[in-house]
Amino acid sequence: MISYILKKLRYLKLLNVNYADDQKKQGTSEYGQSTPIKLSQSLEKNLIAIRNLIGNNFDVIIREFSFGDHINVALIFLSGMTDQSMINENIMKPLMSESHSSQNETLKIKDIAQIKARILSVGGVNQYSSYDEIIDGCLSGQSILLLDECNEALAIMTTNWKSRAVEEPKTESVVRGPREGFTESLLTNTTLIRRKIMSPDLKIESMKLGSRTKTNVCIAYIQGIANPLLIEEIKRRLNRIKTDSILESGYVEQFIEDAPFSIFSTVANSEKPDAVAAKILEGRAAILVDGTPFVLSVPMVLIESFQSSEDYYSRPFFASLIRSIRFLAYFISIFAPSSYVALTTFHQELIPTPLLFSMAGAQEGVPFPAVMEAIMMGIIFEILREAGVRLPRPVGQAVSIVGALVIGESAVTAGLIGAPMVIVVALTAVSSFVVSAQSDSGGVLRITFVILAGFIGIYGIVIGQLGVFIHLASLRSFGTPYLSPLAPLSIRDLKDTIIRAPIWAMFTRPRTIGWHDPERQEFRLKPSSPSEETKEQNKAVR
Amino acid sequence: MKLEKGEISSSQLMFLVGGFIQGSLLTLAFAKDATKHDLWLALIAALMMSLPLALVYITLALKFPGQNLFQINDAVFGPYLGKLVSFQYIMLFLMIVSSNLWFAGDFFLTFFFPETPIIVIMIMFAFICAWGVRAGIEVIARMSIILVLFTILIALTTFILLLNEMKFSNFLPIFDIPIHDFIQGTNIMMAIPFNEVIIFMMVIPYANKMKQVKTSVLYGLMIGGITSLIVVIRNTAVLGPLADIVVSPSMEAVRLIDLGEIIERLEALVGIGLILSMFLKVSVFYYATVLGMAQLLKLRSYVPLVIPVGIIGITLALTNESSIQFTYTAMNTYPIFSLSFYIVLPLISLLIVKIRKLPK
Amino acid sequence: MKRISFCTFRCLIICLILILGTTGCWNRRELNSLAITMGAGIDKLEDEDVTDQLQLTVQIVKTSEIKVGDKGNSSADAFWNARNTGKSLFEVIRGFTHQSSRKLYWPHNQVIIFGRSLAEAGIREHIDFFVRDQETRLGVWILVAEDQASDIFEVKPNLERIPAIGLANLLKAQKASSQTTAIKLDEFATRLMSKTTAPIAAFVKISGQGSKKSLLVTGTAVFKQDKLVGELNKTETRGLLWVLNKVKSGIIDVVSPESNGKVSLEIIRAKSKITPEIIEDKVHMKVDIKEEGNIGSQSCTDDLENRQTIKKLEDEKNAAIESEVKAALSKAQKLNADIFGFGDVVHQKFPKEWKELESRWDEIFPDLEVEVTVEGKIRRSGSSKKAVAPAKE
Repeated sequence: MISYILKKLRYLKLLNVNYADDQKKQGTSEYGQSTPIKLSQSLEKNLIAIRNLIGNNFDVIIREFSFGDHINVALIFLSGMTDQSMINENIMKPLMSESHSSQNETLKIKDIAQIKARILSVGGVNQYSSYDEIIDGCLSGQSILLLDECNEALAIMTTNWKSRAVEEPKTESVVRGPREGFTESLLTNTTLIRRKIMSPDLKIESMKLGSRTKTNVCIAYIQGIANPLLIEEIKRRLNRIKTDSILESGYVEQFIEDAPFSIFSTVANSEKPDAVAAKILEGRAAILVDGTPFVLSVPMVLIESFQSSEDYYSRPFFASLIRSIRFLAYFISIFAPSSYVALTTFHQELIPTPLLFSMAGAQEGVPFPAVMEAIMMGIIFEILREAGVRLPRPVGQAVSIVGALVIGESAVTAGLIGAPMVIVVALTAVSSFVVSAQSDSGGVLRITFVILAGFIGIYGIVIGQLGVFIHLASLRSFGTPYLSPLAPLSIRDLKDTIIRAPIWAMFTRPRTIGWHDPERQEFRLKPSSPSEETKEQNKAVR
Repeated sequence: MKLEKGEISSSQLMFLVGGFIQGSLLTLAFAKDATKHDLWLALIAALMMSLPLALVYITLALKFPGQNLFQINDAVFGPYLGKLVSFQYIMLFLMIVSSNLWFAGDFFLTFFFPETPIIVIMIMFAFICAWGVRAGIEVIARMSIILVLFTILIALTTFILLLNEMKFSNFLPIFDIPIHDFIQGTNIMMAIPFNEVIIFMMVIPYANKMKQVKTSVLYGLMIGGITSLIVVIRNTAVLGPLADIVVSPSMEAVRLIDLGEIIERLEALVGIGLILSMFLKVSVFYYATVLGMAQLLKLRSYVPLVIPVGIIGITLALTNESSIQFTYTAMNTYPIFSLSFYIVLPLISLLIVKIRKLPK
Repeated sequence: MKRISFCTFRCLIICLILILGTTGCWNRRELNSLAITMGAGIDKLEDEDVTDQLQLTVQIVKTSEIKVGDKGNSSADAFWNARNTGKSLFEVIRGFTHQSSRKLYWPHNQVIIFGRSLAEAGIREHIDFFVRDQETRLGVWILVAEDQASDIFEVKPNLERIPAIGLANLLKAQKASSQTTAIKLDEFATRLMSKTTAPIAAFVKISGQGSKKSLLVTGTAVFKQDKLVGELNKTETRGLLWVLNKVKSGIIDVVSPESNGKVSLEIIRAKSKITPEIIEDKVHMKVDIKEEGNIGSQSCTDDLENRQTIKKLEDEKNAAIESEVKAALSKAQKLNADIFGFGDVVHQKFPKEWKELESRWDEIFPDLEVEVTVEGKIRRSGSSKKAVAPAKE
């Protein structure tokens, strides 16, 4: 079926190409298609040209005025994306007042370089000479200063628009650890990372993707730790993207991932600067996309889904316990409904006798087979969850209350569904929230296993699980085996899997990711009781 | 022309061999008829006997680095006779694939799904093995570690849970069987799991460190052997003479687990362990069959052969009449029949290699 | 490595899904379609003119009656005893489909009870089904009814809702007194397979009349090969269990050395070892029993808290244990049934001599010399030192 859709898509793609060709034939003057056109000497002509291109937008402001010796100038900017006070104070005011003060001086400012050098009190000023550059600059929030009798324009960095403040991320809240999260602004995001890693080795390379959206995309990595081949590969894959729009990092993810048909994602995402910084420091590369707080990181391994940045801030034993509980919860969320189905419909001999009695008693008079029950309950749960997520919070709560009451209470009392099944589904639902990074794959696996279990019991589950295992073992994310360090086994890297070793014991980076520069810290950093010398010093102090 | 581009590390090779031997944990019962409660002795004897034989295989493989069994056959016996020998081996491997499929199907039919058609169970099993084979030997090797550890875990857990039920007087008197029965038992045991390591002549060429191959394979044999020993001791100690009459001693032994009425009825573990360890064994044989055929037919890739060979394997398995006939073959015919493949031909090959001073 | 070609893969998955659709239900049994069998009683009908002489009574749980939280009609029986007759056991079992709407489901079967007349006629052919069928399990209790097995299932236990479970729990509780052989199918079958060792099973009786009937599990049924030949009483049973190393706990009453009052000694742990010896072609058995116990209660007012008294008590206890063992032994020798498994011990120790001994074990066993040595200890006296009585002058 998927392939059928793909075929359709291919057909559409052909259509698109033809359409684009037609467009090209129609008008070469269309913006962005042909070679850059230079500015002309006349301000009037320039303005006409610019008005043609973007002038009919309501947010474009073209302000014509003159200064000094009746030099005509025009300032073009987008009202929403620029800092008004900056334009007033640092561009207009100096220019206007210059017109008065210039009487004293013999100098007649006609030269654009002089304006840049002596009048404008703004940090970033560029000189452009083509329309394309001007339009791009203007659309990204710069103010364009056009001068009469000059074939160059000044682009002044007045970029400023409203963006969300740095807040605590909703998806990954922590008890201990930094509360800041990425925002929609790329600049803020790079700053957040830079603030964590103040090393000159932290490289943030930028590129623009999307022919229409012109989205800024940055690759952040640490030179010397990240494998250069990895960076090259990422760039190659990013450059491959020829699309018109990148609206979120999910777009990029789907263009660059290794296994597009896998239910497991091979690109990780996070909303927390500390998590991303930690990944970068392990030798991964982060991909930041303008307009979204979700930062991608590659390569991804399966274990990452079970790690949380908080693990590293709390003490090792507790962190290890929590890790194992996460694994347990993940397995429960995948296997609980299918095991229940397998046990109750195929392997009743495996249920301890007293338990069998109560389960059989509860099942008495229930009209549906257990498989149907499991699938129905699974779907109802997904519906409730989706409704709860999408609706405004107060309404969402109402939905979940109604759902819980109707499904949980009434269905059981009405004898439509056995009480144990409700318990199993509830347990599954709660468990599936624990490992949120794998909740999408978990949902698919759960349903698959339930069907397999309804088909041929425990045999089906084990066969299915073997299939998943084969799939996982053959997956790679940017060259890194997805199951590493478990398969291929790397005993040294087991320090950060089901257990989380103390920070001082994790002195190497993961073998498959950051082996370019393996040593993270010195070998013997384990805190010990004060040495003899310090003891004596203390005595002396006393 | 290289059919397989994967690479496996020495530890992966070790676990692959170990898991491969573990794949025969439940077929150990074949030797039970001949050896009775001295099965464990026969097991140790078979393990000891198989080590030098494994060395023969490894020596052969290392003489021709990067070449697998069929290429070595070509080099040793010449292109025509070599092809014939290779063909025989392929047929043997295919037969083993099919009989293992049948064994798995039969086991699940007997203990879990008596009314299900055996072909369904076999198709599912063959499907998953085909998937593994298509993914390549590297993926199978990567999986082996976890599967082996899981099987060992199951064996140890059941062993500990059954300590209560064990009667070690069941082993007495030691060596209570006629010597020819013992030899027969040892031979069965060698033929079913241990000598089958000859298949690793198809895998060794893809190991990345040739120097460690020998230790890896021998350690792997030990892992498999020790796991088998744990299982055999568990079964005999728990069931005693009953172990001789039941179809699957492991199953019956694990069924007896009853710890405080909470930890009981764990026999699904045996079934799960069977699938996991047998997956490794069947996949390796399947892989070797497909790879060998591709080489024989001079194909550029073995992938197109995977599904046809699987279908042939299933069809072949369906020719088994009954589990009684199957057990008879496994106990009486096969151990003798396979001697030529496991012992005679490799020894002749090694001899020819020494005489002709191959490879030139 | 070649990538899996998507097309073939998809074909396979579609095939698999199609298979899923066609399955229906080979082995699928919903919980509410099972007749969970908790106990089986096998009887031989005495009527000469009836051709179907084998009668099977199965106890099936009424799952609807034990529905949790449904307190309304708890007075109804939670079980149903179904009866069927036939020639062979398997035929009888399949015959139940005529009267039970659900298929019998055996894995949770707790007890197998043989009627006395059937046990005397031989049970080997009826054991086979329980070993061979994949639904039945080896961990099921074996009992012999004093009369008809079918009557046993009619007696409602006072604490449990299902008689078979009550019976199974009774057997589990037997280790408190160690006066009943609680034996499961695996051991029973092992003994049945042995050439010399005689199978044993627990005896179950009905005591009381009318609505006050209750079950009594006590003593041991002794088989010779597969035929019931006799029974051991409570004391003899414990004598047997001492030798088999199966005594877990229990009470031994001895007479106080000072007066005629009774002292009850509690068994805490016991251990036995059987050593065979062949002296001049004659087999001797040595049974060493080591026992540890506490003072459980005393009915006399004597001061037991001194070393001499304790020593005397220990001696008396040893004598009591020895007499129990001797009683069991003489009974077994009278029945000529090697319930102790002496034959197997000899086999294990002297495999060569055994070949010759095996054939005439039946002649050797009745006159077998068994030397019993008992080493009993009294460790503690509970939480009181002296009897609750006025101090003696």
